[in-house]
Amino acid sequence: MRFSIKKKRTRELVLIWFFLAPSLAIFALYRIIPLIWNGVLSFQFWSPYKPSEFAGLYHYQEMLFYDDTFWQSLWNTLIFMGSAPIGIALALVIALLVNTQIRGRGIYRTIVFMSYPVMTVAAGIIWQWLYNEKVGLINYILMTFGIIDEGIPFLESFDFALPAVIVASIWQVIGFYMIILLTGLQNIPPSLYEAAAIDGASTWQRFRRITFPLLKPSLFLCFVIGIINSFTNFDLVYVMTQGGPSHATELLITYIYLVAFKLSKFDYAAALTIVNFLFFVCLAWIANRMSGGEAGAVDEGT
Amino acid sequence: MHRYPRWPIHLILFFVSILMLIPFYWVLKTSLTGENIFTYPPAILPEDPHLFYYVDVWYSIPFFRYLINSVFVSAMVVAANVFLNAMAGYALTRDFVGKKSLILLFLSCMMIPFQVTIIPAYLITKELGLLNTHFGMALPLCSTIVCIFVFKASFDAVPPSLIDAARIDGVPDWKIIFRIMVPLSQSAIATNVILAFIWSWNNFLWPLVIIRDQAMQTLPLGLSRFLTVLEDTTGALYAFCVLVLVPGLIIFLLAQRQFIAGLISGAAKG
Repeated sequence: MRFSIKKKRTRELVLIWFFLAPSLAIFALYRIIPLIWNGVLSFQFWSPYKPSEFAGLYHYQEMLFYDDTFWQSLWNTLIFMGSAPIGIALALVIALLVNTQIRGRGIYRTIVFMSYPVMTVAAGIIWQWLYNEKVGLINYILMTFGIIDEGIPFLESFDFALPAVIVASIWQVIGFYMIILLTGLQNIPPSLYEAAAIDGASTWQRFRRITFPLLKPSLFLCFVIGIINSFTNFDLVYVMTQGGPSHATELLITYIYLVAFKLSKFDYAAALTIVNFLFFVCLAWIANRMSGGEAGAVDEGT
Repeated sequence: MHRYPRWPIHLILFFVSILMLIPFYWVLKTSLTGENIFTYPPAILPEDPHLFYYVDVWYSIPFFRYLINSVFVSAMVVAANVFLNAMAGYALTRDFVGKKSLILLFLSCMMIPFQVTIIPAYLITKELGLLNTHFGMALPLCSTIVCIFVFKASFDAVPPSLIDAARIDGVPDWKIIFRIMVPLSQSAIATNVILAFIWSWNNFLWPLVIIRDQAMQTLPLGLSRFLTVLEDTTGALYAFCVLVLVPGLIIFLLAQRQFIAGLISGAAKG
């Protein structure tokens, strides 16, 4: 009897690992090995046709002390990230308005959310068209209202290109923020508001004392998405500006692509990637500490 | 609670809706009329719209080829995702040595954005001889950690007594999975299908890196290539855009509820 249980247990273990194997193989192949390989590559002189050579900290030195474009793209990534709260604030206003009992709220919700599932490449092309210097709608509207006298070539201008890309990215992601915040709002027990109303709390007090504190986790989740977005938003920048003019919209991710696949400097790009990754991990860690270690925590169960 | 006037809310939301819809309108308008960049001011309403540019897109670029490639890769990704994630999720509901560290490993893998691993991933794919293939495009997306946990949570919610009863009756393990657990996890499956589909359908960077052959390009690649190659065919470019947008929007409008639920469960755990 005991023997057969043991045998059964072995068979079960085989099955478990058999089930896990394909997923593990994919993660090993496309996450773990690449990360280690990246680390190794960043300390080497390497190109596809030459044997590798040990480079020490050469690439890191070049990056930190001589590469202005690296600093520019790091700075742009930070600005991109810093713009996330603007989108979140706008989304919060919309979410609060849509969360009222007004008629047609479902339609408003759908319209605001509709830009999120749009393919980012297509969104980039559309926005590029809206920003067009001669026939772009945005310039036309600004000129009609007499705000500017002649068309601004938004995406070709060093000062306007990054804000222009950021506006497009807010347009795309705002619906997603709204949905997350809306879910958060709907999870707040109505009894709290009823109690507050009985106590004679004003609208602002209700927002300040009930809505805002209880919405914090949702707001935080939005911000985390904003951070991830600033590290991964390759498509929009690539389509709208290709990182130009003269790297004004270059993000770390587009710069890595440029160095690796356009300039074929894989070793240097690997060093950039490692810095990018460490930076990301630091931010995620700080964000996690700030939220009391709850964000991103998955219920592990047992 | 209902004392505030409604019309300011409607006004603001109406204004916001207009702002959100303008890009859609503008691309649709341009696709119907084309654009003469020497006329000023640009026409706000479409003047004598025609479908010429849609025909143009169909014949001047291999649109159908792009579409087939996109559909094929996405189908592969979705099928592999549901299958592999369900398997791994099920395994994580059982007890075995090293389970804690495995979960920890998964969670730390989740911290590695795919973009960060792009260079070695390209080199690995090259070694495997998968550059320029559908399978090469699909493989990195074939299993996703978020969805493994979605499945695990869903399987954990299946009453253990049900499984024990089946086991006492001598039902084999694989039958328990496919006859009892999977049917009880339909929402997890829906979530996974939707997420995997969006990820793969909109995926741009990875195909851009590994696809050199025009015949293998997916829709986003074809679209961005069209942008750089054919500068003066404005109308056709936006007709292409509309053709790319419409299927996605239809799917979204039809399955809005599941779509949003899927995204939220993905975001909350990612």
